[in-house]
Amino acid sequence: MKSKLAAIFAAGCSLALSSGAALTPEQINALPPPAKHRVDFGVEVKPIFEASCIRCHGRGRGRGGLRIDSRETLLKGGDSGPAAIPGKSAESHLIALVAGTDPDEVMPKKGKKLTAEEVGLLRAWIDQGVVWDPEIGFGPIPPKNLDPRLPEVPAAGIEINPVDRFVDVYFREHKVTPPAPVSDRIFARRAYLDTIGLVPTGQELQAFESSRKADKRRALVRDLLSRNAAYAQNWLTFWNDLLRNDYRGTGYIDGGREQITRWLYGALSSNMPYDQFVRELVDPGAASEGFIKGIVWRGTVNASQMPQMQAAQNISQVFLGLNLKCASCHDSFINDWQLSDAYGFANIFSDKPLEIYRCDAPTGQQAATKFLFPQLGEIAATTNKEERLDDLARVLTCPKDGRLTRTIVNRLWARFLGRGLIEPVDDMQQVAWDQDLLDWLAEDLTAHHYDLKHTMELIMTSRAYQLPAVDLGGAAGTNYVFAGPEVRRLSAEEFRDILSSLTGAGYTSADADIGIGEQAKKEFGAKKTAEWIWNDPRAAETAKAGDIYARKTVHLSAAPEEAVALVVCDNSFELFVNGHKAGSGDDSSRPYMIDMQHWLNRGNNVIAVHAVNAPGSPGTNNPAGLYVYARVRGRSGKKVMDFVTDASWVVTEREVAGWEQPRVSTTGWTPASVLGTGEIQPWGLGRDLIAIRFAKLHQGVVRASLVAADPLMTAMGRPNREQVVTTRSSEATTLEALELTNGRTLADALKQGAAIIVKEKVSAPDLVRSIYLGAVGREPTPEELKTAEGLLVKEPGPDGIEDFLWAMVMLPEFQLIY
Amino acid sequence: MMNRDWNRRDFLKTAGAATLGALTAGYPRRVMADEDARIAPSADTVIVLWMAGGMAATETFDPKRYVAFSKGMPASDMLSTFPQIDTAVDNIKFSQGLERTASVMDRGTLIRSYTAGDLGFILHSRHQYQWHTGYAPPQTVAAPHLGAVIARTLGPKNPAVPAFIDIGQRFDVGESEEEKAFHTAGFLGGEFGPFLIANPADAVESVRPPEGMSPTRFQNREKFYKALVAKSPVGEFGSDYQKESLLRSMDNAHRLLSSPAAAAFDLSLEKKEIYQKYDTGRFGLGCLLARRLTEAGARFIEVTSEYIPFQYWDTHENGHTRAADLKKTVDGPIAQLVLDLEERGLLDRTLIVLASEFSRDALLEGKPDKPVKDQVEVPAKVDEMKFYGMHRHFTDAGSVLLLGGGIKRGHLHGLTAEERPCKTIKDRVVIEDLHATIYHALGISPRLSYEIERRPFYVTRDGVGKPIMELFA
Repeated sequence: MKSKLAAIFAAGCSLALSSGAALTPEQINALPPPAKHRVDFGVEVKPIFEASCIRCHGRGRGRGGLRIDSRETLLKGGDSGPAAIPGKSAESHLIALVAGTDPDEVMPKKGKKLTAEEVGLLRAWIDQGVVWDPEIGFGPIPPKNLDPRLPEVPAAGIEINPVDRFVDVYFREHKVTPPAPVSDRIFARRAYLDTIGLVPTGQELQAFESSRKADKRRALVRDLLSRNAAYAQNWLTFWNDLLRNDYRGTGYIDGGREQITRWLYGALSSNMPYDQFVRELVDPGAASEGFIKGIVWRGTVNASQMPQMQAAQNISQVFLGLNLKCASCHDSFINDWQLSDAYGFANIFSDKPLEIYRCDAPTGQQAATKFLFPQLGEIAATTNKEERLDDLARVLTCPKDGRLTRTIVNRLWARFLGRGLIEPVDDMQQVAWDQDLLDWLAEDLTAHHYDLKHTMELIMTSRAYQLPAVDLGGAAGTNYVFAGPEVRRLSAEEFRDILSSLTGAGYTSADADIGIGEQAKKEFGAKKTAEWIWNDPRAAETAKAGDIYARKTVHLSAAPEEAVALVVCDNSFELFVNGHKAGSGDDSSRPYMIDMQHWLNRGNNVIAVHAVNAPGSPGTNNPAGLYVYARVRGRSGKKVMDFVTDASWVVTEREVAGWEQPRVSTTGWTPASVLGTGEIQPWGLGRDLIAIRFAKLHQGVVRASLVAADPLMTAMGRPNREQVVTTRSSEATTLEALELTNGRTLADALKQGAAIIVKEKVSAPDLVRSIYLGAVGREPTPEELKTAEGLLVKEPGPDGIEDFLWAMVMLPEFQLIY
Repeated sequence: MMNRDWNRRDFLKTAGAATLGALTAGYPRRVMADEDARIAPSADTVIVLWMAGGMAATETFDPKRYVAFSKGMPASDMLSTFPQIDTAVDNIKFSQGLERTASVMDRGTLIRSYTAGDLGFILHSRHQYQWHTGYAPPQTVAAPHLGAVIARTLGPKNPAVPAFIDIGQRFDVGESEEEKAFHTAGFLGGEFGPFLIANPADAVESVRPPEGMSPTRFQNREKFYKALVAKSPVGEFGSDYQKESLLRSMDNAHRLLSSPAAAAFDLSLEKKEIYQKYDTGRFGLGCLLARRLTEAGARFIEVTSEYIPFQYWDTHENGHTRAADLKKTVDGPIAQLVLDLEERGLLDRTLIVLASEFSRDALLEGKPDKPVKDQVEVPAKVDEMKFYGMHRHFTDAGSVLLLGGGIKRGHLHGLTAEERPCKTIKDRVVIEDLHATIYHALGISPRLSYEIERRPFYVTRDGVGKPIMELFA
């Protein structure tokens, strides 16, 4: 059978009643006869209206001027006069149209035509006086989940968490007997993943399990939520998906799209209140404007995808759980939003009012600028966009906006329990399975100053969260009854991060620029001021092309344990340490990090640099400069022996044999000319460059959320962030399994991991135990141990470890969150 | 049709890879079109031969007046830079350099009136996106690739061979992000996405154990995994849907990797003399791989000459010289693919579609009545060989070759003007209709839709595609 929805969607054009001429007697005779019984409006007429009329003539729409909201509007009729005349069905224009008297004027134009019986029912209903049950109407449906509502928290039974007090009432009503909460082990695994996106280490888990503290689960959740950096790196994934922020992708390369990574990371790590978070995205400063700026695609795009409309669509979806996509092309067929609503909203982001395009064709009309829910507040009718955005941000986040808070608490619930109080989470026009709970959680968030971590703690410490996982069998039907969290699956990022933490091998450099924290600035900031040097004091402006040689003898009072030089040179350099070449670089815009530790000793050391100023373009300045900051530490990091380029270096233009060797005389070399500190033009090295680079060097394994998608993450469901993604599919697919089984990304990661583990020279049983503990949070059973030992010989080699690790991370017990 | 009485567990035990996904997904829901049941398919497999970068029709399948290079010739004299040649069909001429393909023209239909969309300033990736999804980018939902729609709708032909295989495109060159955007199953879900083989010569690597792992070790690893799964304490975690589908996906992958069908990926198993006939480079070997995979039971295969900005068919200069070289790499393999499939009795049920995102012209950018901003400087007088050729993007008339799969043999569809502008003057074909024709050959209605975010997403844009019925035999 053809879907009704499909047919209606295809119609896509307006139905208008043309002026109705009176029917001839022949035409009247040809009408289906009226039904002979007393017609029941609710049972017999309402379904006909709903199936064939309301899409264009109800719910706020009035094609051809006709609205079938109520008896009054029907009788009043449209552009061609009254639609029905009580008692006179043969003279009622509506009947002529639905009966198809004029084949060119049949209603509905497309979609389900009325049968003769249905026309007969309508005739009888009109003849019997158009009896209309006033309880039934087809006017606009008021928005759901908009007004704040604070239900009273049910009296406490055994449970004191307000969430459970609501859920207990729900359970009683639905005759659900909740089983006992999950074990500490399973709880800890869930809680770690949901906060910081990692699983507990064996030690953390043992400590938690053996703790006798009464309130230890709450204490754990609090502790985890307070690990700000780990929390931010985990939740970055969720918000990147929602705000379609990425590190590479369409638009970035030609300025048609802007990252908000730094802002987002800062907002998450500081737990920015949600109302402020939304305000800063909707009425942004430079750091967060990427979200409403959207993606400017090159070439001509469909009018429904202009940046202002993207802003309207994305704000609607992400913050209000509302689909405005259909309505940005034509009046929506899936909800009540109309083209003028979408344009009215998009106007807010536009420098001048937008011309309305219907199905990508210009209409010559404009929409009045307005927010979707005018009842929440006014948007100034002004040409000043800043003012409008300011108004929008205020209206959207005012305490009267219960849609904003319900939408986010529902998203959190869905994230933690696998399925929302309302599902799908982007359709907030629906009723929740526990509406009181949703309403209360939303208001509680407002009352706690929009502190998302507060709501998270509330949910995660509830018994509802701690119930054993249930199997919903993939797609749950409409008769969903909550009985516990759904079995979930690790995300691509979680999978990768846990693997990294099991082996110590993982991503080593981030694609995300998340800025640098105060602590890192303090720890890795420069202890000395490096200066640009050359052999000509005007070199920052221009210098002659050619080679120079620079040297410095450095005295180290302790053996260096760490010695890395950051070198920038315009244009290229080679660095020698005590006569050994330690590194080189030829990109003048890039700081090179060169490890010198191997060649440095306690006492005197000679650092020598061969620097080249390449010929510039004729007629332009050709600046030259060399900049070195060496971070040198000894005695477990306590002894600071950093050195830098400055006036104490000596330079020459003449290449003498062995110039880089320690024992060569520097007679005839001249003191280096200092050009200025790092920030000077044309190079302008940022103030935090040293700290950023060295912090990066020390950050160890990088979280997957900070790295651009690779084939493994893509296969595991990390989305291309060109569209907003609010729910990732957790479906296991064959292509994904292929990537896991023979893909290079995972194979390389396992190889690296095994190479690290093999060096630790642990015995097979110890290795099996520690990986089981780290991966699935438990000791292996004796049988598992025996099986694993069968694969691993007594002193496991890299191949055996690799294969063991692979099998472990493929286990359902590892990949699923129970 | 699926038997509704099957219980899920039985099905999981017997189902193949993609059908499993189709069953379990439930989302997006498939909405059948009325006529779905009535279309008798004339093909089971589709091979798209993608001439990436904009292949000039006047230099390949739609030759016009030939003017040889002479120093100082007016640029406006350039229509075709090659003489025309006969094909196996009297009224169809090709351009020199396509002699072998010309000899199999009697196995199919040539469309000369393919008209690309109006997407403003010409960008290859956006036109490629539109050709492959049927929708102009961007879309508010992630649009699926033609191959993904077919994989989702029909499932694999052989459960051990991925239903949608994409050969020859690397994703770390050129506009890779834009390429990735349409090489995807979009909202249909990862199960139906492309199985990517960047380099056909290395195809076998995608279906064998990871590099450096012996087959024995690979089998042992699998055995060990199975043993660990079996020993895993089931009591606490029970058996559930998620776990079953995870294990099943692993089984499917392993089955593929150890299946006899995997041998189809290994070009070294091909007879030497046949291999050499295809060995003109990546594209040629891609055609060989496509043939082997068709034999093994693939459903949808795309072989691309590869899109890299300003490379291959993206001729912004030296158009003549480069077209001559390109034809050498595609001509033999295309013909050989047709002949090999025919010899194996597979051509009748395999639809080969050779296409490009648009055509080229020496002077016109866009369409005669809708010109867009030029991207290539063309001197009025051609003094150097590098200016001899088709360097601008022409969207009004391009060639599409359809072979096998129930398509008329030796047929010509569409007519273009003999003089500039060489526009379409008869039987215009747009992407919606071309897709509808491909779908029709497979028994799929152009009005079939999948429901996403409560709206129907039609397999041809808004369901408007109409199959070109006169192309069918």
